[in-house]
Amino acid sequence: MMQKTRPLSLPMGEIAVARENGVLRTLLGSCLGLALYDRRLKVAALAHIVLPDSLGRSATPGKYADTAVPEMIRHMQELVETERLRLHAKIAGGANMFTSADAGNTIGVQNVQAIEVILERLRIPIIARHCGGEQGRRMTIDTATGAVTIDIVGAATETL
Amino acid sequence: MPKRGGTHADIARTEPVLTDQQLTALTTLFRHGSDDASLALSRWLSRPSQVSIEQVEQVPLSEATDVLGHADDAVCFCAMTLSGLVTGELILSFDDASGLALADLLLGNRIGTATRWGEIEQSAALETANIIGCAYLNTLARCFPEKDAQSPELVPSPPKFSRDFPEALMEFALMNQAMASDTVFLTRTEFRIEGAPVNCNLLFVPDAQCLATLREMLPG
Repeated sequence: MMQKTRPLSLPMGEIAVARENGVLRTLLGSCLGLALYDRRLKVAALAHIVLPDSLGRSATPGKYADTAVPEMIRHMQELVETERLRLHAKIAGGANMFTSADAGNTIGVQNVQAIEVILERLRIPIIARHCGGEQGRRMTIDTATGAVTIDIVGAATETL
Repeated sequence: MPKRGGTHADIARTEPVLTDQQLTALTTLFRHGSDDASLALSRWLSRPSQVSIEQVEQVPLSEATDVLGHADDAVCFCAMTLSGLVTGELILSFDDASGLALADLLLGNRIGTATRWGEIEQSAALETANIIGCAYLNTLARCFPEKDAQSPELVPSPPKFSRDFPEALMEFALMNQAMASDTVFLTRTEFRIEGAPVNCNLLFVPDAQCLATLREMLPG
């Protein structure tokens, strides 16, 4: 039996990649979690996206939707070398805990919209999503299967 | 083997929002606030209690969500959104055991009586947040640099009770600052009741607009 590595936890604005037996996870509030996965090559990437548009800033590519996606694909391609990636996406997050904080909600919605446009342009289908609400989420992707699980305090675990 | 996507070097290059001199001035200001919060908590609990500044800090965004730890267990918190003179979030957070013990103290019950967050326990927590938060904020408002007759009042919203993952709570609170900078500012306090430490935190997280005002107002 193959032994699993410990889950790698991502902080805000970062990206991680793993192949075959990795587990990646992140805690999301208003931010958006984007998981990309290649079923055949069993390679996954996870990003904790904070904002939709980098406006030309390149120092922290994982923080912005427009820079995170190409950076994720670049890291995944490095892992599989010359193999061709065939990706699908799952997204989660974009909650609004502080009801008076309209900006948080707006940013959450804008992040989702930005990712939808970017992924459509790259022909990467979003096959599952778990967005909105008032509570945070723990998003975990298992690279062996591509299963994404969502944990919310006080609720049963959901698998996407 | 999982690996992170190489952003550490970039994060290390981000600039702090406030200078050391401004941080020192703010620490003094927050100490006044925590002194008044100590008085209010002591009266509220009818026991000697202390709320003291633990940290006034600027940290990279990627580290800021760890402030309350990154345990899998949920934390409870009462959050007040601030508008007017000071804008941002004031959050009283605690683990279940500490929060329920606090509720027992307030309700005159033996510690360990409350085992779940019912309406009365939540109400006790919310009222505690209200009392500590307002004492802290009133002092901040009085001491706020260059406050004059034209300055808007500081208006806290009624506190809201929730339970969530600690990192998710911090992400919600820091979202506004994260929109403006890769470095975030926050201040936290520690609690003692009758000399014993209590696992509670009072977090003040100003928003980006408030930080910009502080940067302009404070010498440094």
